[in-house]
Formats: sequence, C-alpha cells, structure tokens
Amino acid sequence: MPDQPNILVIDDEQIMRDGCSRILSKDGWSVLTAENGKKGLEEIQNHLENIGVILLDLMMPGMSGMEVLDQVRTIDPNLLVIVITGYATVESAVEAMKKGAYDFIPKPFTPDQLRIIVKRALERRALQKEAEFLRKERERSLRDIATEKSKIKTIINCMGDGVLVCDGDGCVVLTNPAASRMLMTSESSLLGNSLSHCHLNSELSKTIEESLQAKDIGYTSVSQELSLGESQQFFLRAHTAPVRNDLGETIGSVTVLQDISHLKELDKMKSEFIAMVTHELRAPIAAVEQQLTVILNKMAGEVTEKQEQLLNRAKERTKGLLNLIKDLLDLSKIEAGKMVQYKEPLALQEVIQRVVDLMRVEAENKKIELQFSSSPKVSLIHADRNSMEGIFTNLISNAIKYTPEGGKVWVNLGEEGGFVKATVSDTGIGLKKEDIPRIFDKFYRVKTTETRQIIGTGLGLSIVKSIVDAHLGSISVESEEGGGTTFTVLFPRESNPSIS
Amino acid sequence: MAKKILIVDDDPDLVEAVTMILESKRYDVAAAYGGIEGLQKAKTENPDLIVLDVMMPDKDGYAVCKELKADPNLSKIPILLLTAVVSKIATTRYTQQGGLETEADDYIDKPVEPEVLVKRIEALLTK
Repeated sequence: MPDQPNILVIDDEQIMRDGCSRILSKDGWSVLTAENGKKGLEEIQNHLENIGVILLDLMMPGMSGMEVLDQVRTIDPNLLVIVITGYATVESAVEAMKKGAYDFIPKPFTPDQLRIIVKRALERRALQKEAEFLRKERERSLRDIATEKSKIKTIINCMGDGVLVCDGDGCVVLTNPAASRMLMTSESSLLGNSLSHCHLNSELSKTIEESLQAKDIGYTSVSQELSLGESQQFFLRAHTAPVRNDLGETIGSVTVLQDISHLKELDKMKSEFIAMVTHELRAPIAAVEQQLTVILNKMAGEVTEKQEQLLNRAKERTKGLLNLIKDLLDLSKIEAGKMVQYKEPLALQEVIQRVVDLMRVEAENKKIELQFSSSPKVSLIHADRNSMEGIFTNLISNAIKYTPEGGKVWVNLGEEGGFVKATVSDTGIGLKKEDIPRIFDKFYRVKTTETRQIIGTGLGLSIVKSIVDAHLGSISVESEEGGGTTFTVLFPRESNPSIS
Repeated sequence: MAKKILIVDDDPDLVEAVTMILESKRYDVAAAYGGIEGLQKAKTENPDLIVLDVMMPDKDGYAVCKELKADPNLSKIPILLLTAVVSKIATTRYTQQGGLETEADDYIDKPVEPEVLVKRIEALLTK
C-alpha cells in the first residue's frame, strides 16, 4: 500500500538479492527484486506508486547500473536510488551521485549498515511526499482564494448598491460601478485615492473618517441620508461601518450606498397625500368642535346643565379624534423613518428639564407633585431632540393622567452599564399584570372604570416604543395595580464623545 | 366705534361659529368664503383685522397674505392665520409653496377657545 513503501533490489547476484530481502523484510518492509536492469525497470513501471527506494548494483551484465539510473531518473526524478558499488571505487560512486543517486553503499556491508542507509532514504522519501502534498495543497488553496476573489469581485460589481471600501489611512481600496455612478464620479478618481482627494460628499467623507477613528468597540455602523446633484435632486442612503481586525483595531471601513431617490419621490407624494387627508379629516371635526365651543360658551343662547354635560362630553370626543389624527401622523412619520433622522449628541438632562417645566402647569392643576432629579454627570446620547421631547412628554403626561389628585410623579436620570437610564415613576392607578405585555401595542388602551374618563388614542406608548427602537434603546415597565407605575428607558451612550 | 374683523374661511360652519364668538365680544364682523373673495372684501370692507384660514381651494391663506402685505393700502392690517396644520409635513408643504409663514402677524390652531381667540385679536389690535 502507498503508506508502506516497497524497496526494489536490482542486483545480478542471487545472494545479494536474497540477503537484502531477508534483512529488510525482517524490519517489516516489503522487498521486490530484479536480477537485471531491464527487469528492474519493468518492476519500477509496474509498481511506480509503491516503490520508495531502489537499491541498484552498478556492476551488472547487460544494462549497466549507470544506464538504469539514467532511465529511473527520467521515469520519476523523485525516486531515491542507493547505488551498491561492488569493487568500491569512489569514482563510480561519485559519478552515480552526480547523476542523481541519493546515496551509495560499498560492498561488502553489514546488515546494520544497510538498515541505516535504507531507513534514512525512506525517511527522506516520506518527507519528500509530504512536501509534495503540502505544495499541492497550497496550490489548491491559492487557486480557491483566487476563485473566491474573482467571485466576490463579480458579486460586488454586479450589485445594484454602491460599495466603497477604505483602508485604515482613508484610501479607497475597493469600489464598484454602482458606487461611482451614485457618487457621480469615475472609478479611477476613487480607487487608490485618499478620501480628501475623491471629491466625495463632505458629510460622507466625514462619516467615513469618523468610523476609521472609532476606538470604541460599541461603535458599529452609521446610516445617513445624502443629497447630491446640482439641485440636490438625488438621494442616497449610506451605511458606513468600521472593519476591525482580531485585536479590535479599526483597519478600514466599508460603506454601502443605496439610491433612494425614487423612494423620496414616493415619500413626497405620500406626505402630500397625508397632508390632504389630514385636512379633509380635520376640517370638519374642527368645525364641529368650534360650534360646540360656541354653544358651550352660551354665545348661542342659554344651555341647560344636562345639555352642557352632554356637549362637554361631545367636545372631549372631538378633541380625542383630533389627537388621534395627530398621533397617526406622528406614527406614520416614524415608520417612514422621518422623525428620527436628525440624530445628534444630546444631553438628555436638558431635554427632560424642558419637558418637566412645560408639564408643571398640568401637574399643578391636578395637585400632583412633579419632580426631576439627575446624577451630576450623565453622558450624552446620540438622538433626535424632537423625538426625545416626544417620548418624555408622552411618558410624563401619561403619568400625570393616570395619577389621582394629590399624587406624585418623579423623573430620574442616571447611567447604568454603558447606558443612559431614565425612569418616570408615579403613584397612580398602576397596571394589571395581564395588561403589561400589551401596553406598547398600537391602539391598546387599558379599560377600567378609572380609565374610562381619560381621553387617549392608544397610540402614545406605541409611538414611544417606535422612537426608542429607532434609537437602539429599550423601554420596560414595572407596575402593580393600585401601586403606581415606573417606566424605564435605556439609550446607548454617545459612542464618540469628542464629536460634541 | 366697534372694530371690524374680516373672517376668511371656505368652511361656512366655521365662519358662523367664529362670527358668533366675535359678535358676542361686540366686534363688527364681515365674512368671506374663499381667498379671492377675502382679498376683495379686504379692500371694500376696510377691516381693522383679518382672520385668515390657510387651506382654501381657490387661493390659500399664504397667497392671500402675500398679496395683502404687498398692497401698501392693506399691508398695515394685522393678519391672524387660522391653521389646521398639525404636522411638519403640512407645514413644509405650505412653506415650500407659500414660503411666507412669517408674514402673518400671528397664527392660531383651529378649533379655538373663544377667550384665546379674543385675547390674540386684542393683542394685535393694540399693537
């Protein structure tokens, strides 16, 4: 078998052939023999795969050992030939070695001498085979890599999205036709050039440079919208992420570009449609409410107590409808990714303080104590200011709404494990266990005798949740029926504080 | 003499309701049911103040406002815009088309509480 190499002994003397066979077989090797050069070559041809070492007598009648050696070399130059020099002449041994013999053994020799030299040759043969195997393996890997490379290049080139890869020095090392088309430049003015020389959109170059400088492992990817063209009529969405090595060091960045001009166009049409529908829905409700207001203000004559009660209720319903329309608009804007696209480094403390100040009147009207406390130093977060105001207005006004007179609402801001944490707590009516999992659902409202009098659209918390999600944050709630409610919101810290 | 206020709105129900509020506060009220009629009445009725709706089919409030402010005889009349604009989307659309949100002297969301409306009108009239 290939693992157990054969030894071929070519010698005209029977006694030599038998002697060698006996010695080597005893050590577990299989031995073939041939009585002359011609037969020897035949054996080699027949067992080429299995022959590891050839012991070759130089002095033979007919074909001489040298001739056999020459032929062996042409059959397979890797075959190891040990020449047996009968009447030891150094010259013939040297000549054989020059012709490519691996070693020589002078006659007469002891069994140990033979064993040592054969063993050495076989070891050499094994190494040779291993080297050959490794070489082939490497060749195949290189070929695989080349195939893989060409495959990836083809994929990247065929992609509809633009790809722009920079190395650690901000030099463009890979790009595709879609990228040059979207960035309205040629591949040659991108490839091999540093960012500052590519005439890229300045916001995009800034983002790529920031991603290259990002040290914090928490910095993952940045998504931004770019407008290009003479009248800014083309829109791209760019996703940029740093590439890190196994030590977590940034060694480059990848940017994927999407052409969103047609989406923008649709979006504009949708916005106009929504604006129109809003007007059509709002105008009649507003008119009805205006009429109710006039009657309730007794500008159309006296109103009985019962009528006033009914009209007040009707007015609350129209107000509810108007709020519903407003909330629906907010929600459709968030779902379209509109509300949260102006993310900036933001001090949540300021935002909450502002909201608390605005809500104070509402709280005082219900004789509710409203407090805000904050840790002395709280990290910035990366967020959209309006959305954050929306979240806290919603949470705090909910807390006030669902807390009976004389209660307490308090807001706390701090940090916890890489996150900025805000809690809004109240001493209100609390939530039933079965309601908790559903309160973030759209249009879900807790229905009890206590909440029936409270006007709401059921969209508030689902809007809050969408905003929190869009900021990679989380929101949770703890509550006990009759024992108050605490909402906890977590946002990741701003990853690159130096920007602020 | 009572101050005269011109209400311009394409919704007759709303015009009626606002008229009742203003009349109860002893204002003289003239009404126009569209942007073009509003412009005409601004010239003929000689109002002290105009309450102007934004979204009207023939000529919207921004366009009316622009023309009024461009007319030297009428540019001094304070304008209170009555908006049903609830979202940035709508604001943006009208800013794009009208581009002069700021040319009105004040604006107020409808529906409006009578005391708020009256307070704003008084503020504009005494300015």
